[in-house]
Amino acid sequence: MDSSLVMTGLTNVLSLTNIACILGGTVLGLFVGAMPGLSATMALALLLPLTFSFDPATGLSMLAALYVGASYGGSIAAILLRTPGTPSAAATVLDGFPLSQQGKAGQALGISLFASFFGGLMSGIALLTAAPLLGTLVLEFGPVELFAIAVLGITIIGSLAQGSVISGLFSGGLGLLVSTVGMDLTTGTPRMTFDQINLFSGIDFTVALIGLFSVPQALTLIENSNQGEKVASRITDRLIPRLQTIKKLMPNILRSSGIGVIVGLIPGTGGDTASWFAYNEAKRFAKDKSHFGKGEIAGVAAPEAANNAVVGGALIPTIALGIPGSSSTAILLGALMVQGILPGPNLLTDYGDVTYTLIWAVILANVGLLVVGLAFTKMSVSVTRVPDGFVACAILTLCIIGAFAINNSLFDVGLMLGFGLFGYWLAKAGVSPAPMVIGLILGPVMEVSFQQSMLIGNDSFGVFLDSPIATVLLILALLSILQATPAFRWVRRPLKRRLQRG
Amino acid sequence: MPARTIMQWLAPAVLAVAIAPVTQAAEYAGGDEITVLQGFKPGGGSDALAQLVQPRLSEILGINFVNEYMPGATGAVAWTRLAKQSPNDGSVISITNTPMLMTNYIMNDAISYDTDEMTPIANVVTDPGIVVVNADSEYQTIENLLDAAKQNPGTVTIGNSGVGGDDFFTTILLEQASGLSFKRVPFQGDGPSATAAMGGKIDASFNNLGNVYSQIESGNLRALAVFAEERLDTLPDVPTMKEKGFDIVAGSSRGYSAPAGIPVEARQQLIEAFQTLAKDPDFQAQAEQRAMNLDVVTGDDYRAMIDQMEERFRGVWDEVKDDVAQ
Repeated sequence: MDSSLVMTGLTNVLSLTNIACILGGTVLGLFVGAMPGLSATMALALLLPLTFSFDPATGLSMLAALYVGASYGGSIAAILLRTPGTPSAAATVLDGFPLSQQGKAGQALGISLFASFFGGLMSGIALLTAAPLLGTLVLEFGPVELFAIAVLGITIIGSLAQGSVISGLFSGGLGLLVSTVGMDLTTGTPRMTFDQINLFSGIDFTVALIGLFSVPQALTLIENSNQGEKVASRITDRLIPRLQTIKKLMPNILRSSGIGVIVGLIPGTGGDTASWFAYNEAKRFAKDKSHFGKGEIAGVAAPEAANNAVVGGALIPTIALGIPGSSSTAILLGALMVQGILPGPNLLTDYGDVTYTLIWAVILANVGLLVVGLAFTKMSVSVTRVPDGFVACAILTLCIIGAFAINNSLFDVGLMLGFGLFGYWLAKAGVSPAPMVIGLILGPVMEVSFQQSMLIGNDSFGVFLDSPIATVLLILALLSILQATPAFRWVRRPLKRRLQRG
Repeated sequence: MPARTIMQWLAPAVLAVAIAPVTQAAEYAGGDEITVLQGFKPGGGSDALAQLVQPRLSEILGINFVNEYMPGATGAVAWTRLAKQSPNDGSVISITNTPMLMTNYIMNDAISYDTDEMTPIANVVTDPGIVVVNADSEYQTIENLLDAAKQNPGTVTIGNSGVGGDDFFTTILLEQASGLSFKRVPFQGDGPSATAAMGGKIDASFNNLGNVYSQIESGNLRALAVFAEERLDTLPDVPTMKEKGFDIVAGSSRGYSAPAGIPVEARQQLIEAFQTLAKDPDFQAQAEQRAMNLDVVTGDDYRAMIDQMEERFRGVWDEVKDDVAQ
């Protein structure tokens, strides 16, 4: 690492123009993130053409700040309205909204903000200090390893299936099934597309997610709008969390940030995956699991720390090797290309001034997030004072805009509404949409990497055992499945008893 | 500093206003605004071309360009829209990527547009095909790679950017020309294919120069051969496949096309604009900096280029389709 470039980056970022752009980007990100239906990737894509006329460092800083802001913003709607503002905030809904119902919205939002800040800051520091080192790690993750990660991720479905295991597995299986729509990677054959070319690229999981989470909630709000009582309508507790709470959550936040950085740096997985992994680990490590899903603050801190840590994590291979770690950083790379900078391993050297400015911008944006976020969150809480009927209409409108803006496609809007009605039915039937979303996110990753692994390994399953990383991950997945079965309890109970006696 | 900030924000707007009246003399027959349908997401290779070409075309023609991104079905969503549902008055054009433009409908009956429903305007860049391996790979030359395939048929793994992409077809063309067989591993784009080669997950990646040039320069990848007519200026030590006895010239090209039947005058003005652009030294320099290999082919020649490619790939696909879509 060239320390003079690091300093150049720092001085660059501290220019008035750049600070203004970073703060502007953060606010814009918060706003877009908080809107159900509008995601970070989409906002980046929309803002991108605007930055073409900027100086490369300024434009990139603004885009990175937007990414940071949106990664936190998504949790606001997730906690207050039960509609994830961005795909990566879907896991936050599980415990955030119950907290809000108990009148603890302020506490949940405060923890979410601080967890996001810590996660983002830690990933920023990892980016600044260890990018070249961690960047090469990406090359270790080929199709074989990616398949193992996807399998491990799929096992989360089991632990999310609260209450009825059958309905959870049903929901997850449905997600996997829907994810097979589209062109088969290895043969080019369209599957379940009914000759509809809008389905050839598959169903964009963001479209499904908007429908599955936001539309049912809007309909439920309308249904209950004449009931008068609103529990979540006032913030009765403080936004800034107590030091004691933060201290207690710190191991969780650190672990989740680590997960965020690692998942972020693996191409093909991003904030949407990391937040579920972090949530699952928070639950696994918790002594008392009974509160998860009913308003456990650790269940808010984990996904939020993770999805903000993804920002820095995904940037690591991007700047170290010119390989994007997520769909959002792919857009950042596009911004570089358009600016005439050919992304590659020379980003840290030849274009060090631009790159280090970007890194500092990520760190600065997280500090900005803490300040701006406090004010913005306080403001956004007032949304709960708006009558439910209006909120529902606003959510539906945003869902339609959001679904359209992903691919500029009206077809996607119809698809989103279809998923919405289906999600409404699921909610009435008591089936959680969360496992279905995981199936939708990881299904394509798993299928594609499996096909590639089989080609690479000459149709032998041995290919998974040849890779130490894949072997370890698959064993973890196996343990994770066994943990949920009675078999594991039979083994554990006598063991525990023996330990207690001994 | 604040003054500069405001100027940075306002500059594009000021420029747009300033350009419009000056160049009004030669009015474009298709109106004062052209919508460009882009079949891929913002920030991709097509967008990079658009951002390089369109501001300059805008000056030459005295009109504004508006990008409309409609990703999906490897461009087919946008191209169907161009061919079937766009006004043919010269107000709508699209970035057309070959051979994807044709292989889309060659391979899938459900994709209903045809290049006969388009007016090819100009090809702008052709990114030549290239064979790359990991820097630590045992394959030092293209002969090493081919020998390995000869000794163990069907086991040497070759990454491509996806079924139907140029690299996929290049692999088949080489198989047919050499009588060898490889294990074709499709990826979702050139980037992941190159990354897999860099990590040593596959033996080689058939890729495109622009995508891997900086990785070759920095020593992460080694180029074994290029699918070009002649050796490339940027990589003078890398042999062409032609030199090695395989007459395969291939790559991924990007250009612009309009719907069929646009006014003759509009077509002519667009073609002339691209010809003017091709001579602009500043444009040439900018393209080189972005590792874009300029290959400006306009009008009827571009039509011929498309037809030729279509015939060739239709033949290849007819031969291998039963094998691929088992």
